[in-house]
Amino acid sequence: MKKNDFAKLLVPILSVLAAFIIGGIIIVCLGKNPLEAYGFLFKGALGTSSKFAQTLEVACPLIFTGLAAAFAYKCGVFNLGGEGQFIMGSIMSIVVSTQLGITGVPAIIISVLAGTVVGGLWGAIPGILKITRGLNEMIVSIMLNYVATLFMGCVFTNFLRDGSVPQTPAVPKESQIPNLSDGFRVHYGIVLGIILALVLYYFLFYTSRGFKLRAVGLNATAARFNGFAVNKIILMSFICSGAIAGMGGSIELHGKQFRLMQGYGAGFGFDGVAIALIAQLNPIATVVVAFFFGILRKGASTLQAGMKIPTSVVDIIQALVIVFAVAGTALVRLPQVKQFFRVHFTGSRKGAEN
Amino acid sequence: MDAIMNVNFFVQLFLSTIRMATPILLVALAELYSERAGLVNIGLDGIMSIGALIGFLAGYISGNPFLGIVAGALAGIAVNMIYAFCTITLCAEQIVYGMAINIFAPALASFIYRAYFSDTSTVVQGVSMKPIAIPLLSQIPIIGPLFFNHPLLVYIAYLLVPVTAVFLNKTKAGLNFKAVGEYPKAAETLGVNVIRQKYMASTICGALAGIGGAYLTICYTSTYSEGIVAGRGFIALSAVIFGRWMPGGVLLACLLFGFCDAIQIRLQLLSPGTPYQLLQMIPYLCTLIALVVFGIKKSGPKANGKPYFREER
Repeated sequence: MKKNDFAKLLVPILSVLAAFIIGGIIIVCLGKNPLEAYGFLFKGALGTSSKFAQTLEVACPLIFTGLAAAFAYKCGVFNLGGEGQFIMGSIMSIVVSTQLGITGVPAIIISVLAGTVVGGLWGAIPGILKITRGLNEMIVSIMLNYVATLFMGCVFTNFLRDGSVPQTPAVPKESQIPNLSDGFRVHYGIVLGIILALVLYYFLFYTSRGFKLRAVGLNATAARFNGFAVNKIILMSFICSGAIAGMGGSIELHGKQFRLMQGYGAGFGFDGVAIALIAQLNPIATVVVAFFFGILRKGASTLQAGMKIPTSVVDIIQALVIVFAVAGTALVRLPQVKQFFRVHFTGSRKGAEN
Repeated sequence: MDAIMNVNFFVQLFLSTIRMATPILLVALAELYSERAGLVNIGLDGIMSIGALIGFLAGYISGNPFLGIVAGALAGIAVNMIYAFCTITLCAEQIVYGMAINIFAPALASFIYRAYFSDTSTVVQGVSMKPIAIPLLSQIPIIGPLFFNHPLLVYIAYLLVPVTAVFLNKTKAGLNFKAVGEYPKAAETLGVNVIRQKYMASTICGALAGIGGAYLTICYTSTYSEGIVAGRGFIALSAVIFGRWMPGGVLLACLLFGFCDAIQIRLQLLSPGTPYQLLQMIPYLCTLIALVVFGIKKSGPKANGKPYFREER
């Protein structure tokens, strides 16, 4: 068991290292000093307490979309629609907080709830189509991402347009999620994200429903023979996954962005999937990896300002981490490699027995 | 209403249907080869984006569109080899790895673009492939311009459909190929090298998907922009399901999706009052509806998506 945990921890760490090394080589090719560049990156993300707070704020939506992806995949279904659910949740919540005329804390609570519900409904569509028509949930959820993004475009250019600029009106000041403290510019959403991760962790690993969900993810046929309502569990995991993403959208809207405009939410869904995979679907690890992605994203802007290195270097590093992490996870599962670990890390006697 | 009743309108509509269907067709055929050998590759979007960029760059630098297409194919193969190595040799989960490619390849593409053209605000004009009119046939009214006046790549894409059908159903190599996707163990006992077939499938898949991407930047527009692929890889993926893993079916599916794309553009011109985003939804909604109505999971290759462990009993 210990050896297993060790390998689980080793893979992401080595992947990150390898990604940084290749990123460093790319930076050298651009004629810059990689160590200096990484210095800028980390100083820009963690250097002062206010930068640290901004990094947390960047990580916040990623925590939610990461949790959404991890939760669905724990049940064996791939929800690639995090972005669509995030956006639909945000649309509902901007409608609630700008059109209904309520303000203050009740407005925050109602609009976040509304966003969560709509995210869940949007997430239910691939689930329903999967269990009734046997459709591939990935294709359906991706198509729904495009529909949601285009619908959002429609909302901010037509239905809820604010004057001449193509964007929606902002969430009123009183309805914005407050910051943790005045000097520390990060909103309470991050606290909610961490609590949610803990709740999901407890649910997945310490409740019977969570056990059933994981059982379906490990082997749906076996779960069905065990008398579990597999279809119901799959649908539930989709709805919950969508709801988490939708909640993330509402919180991002009320805590950071305040209005919908071109490019809102773009990339959060796939980043969430990447985060969940690197974290090996563990909710608590998801928060850690999301924070790491937050560092990369926040640091990228300092990198560009300080050393004129395009921010897309960071995108590549991020992508390499996932490429290596997934390959590494598969690698340690190979029989030959398992044997190697057995012999070299737990004593040769046990290795000989097996 | 006059514009709608116009014959020319329909010619234009079907013409753009054929052109819009081409990239989807190329990529759907790529996926068909891959899935027939038991490899579900959802990284098509990523491969397309790298093919689009490298094709564009090679065309831009050399000034030769054909070189661009070849470069796009090579880039597609290169990226797909990462996928092939990890899924075939390391037995990584295909879906997960396809996703990794979808995240990695577009990031790489946009990085190369930004590193090469440090100023991204101006649109760089690349090369475009000239249509080749087939003598005599292209003179026929209506049918001529519709079918016999296209860039070379369009002809190749449509010719690949019968070629693929014959290859998969009538040749020994094609039957071996299909056996790998149906029941690799049996194929292996009959002397088919499963691993090699799978690598071959990945090579074909990478090349075609790369060309599909290059089509977008060389034949469709002659510029590169981020997000130019716009989910076409996933639409191609559903075209394969919708076409029941058969070349003819895939062609019909691609034409349908191409038609949706074409009509969407026409409608934008016809009714400027409608928010264009609603019209842009049409191809995606149509894909969904087509899948709901026709998509049945059961008819795919049996060993599709399963890793193959040679030594497992």
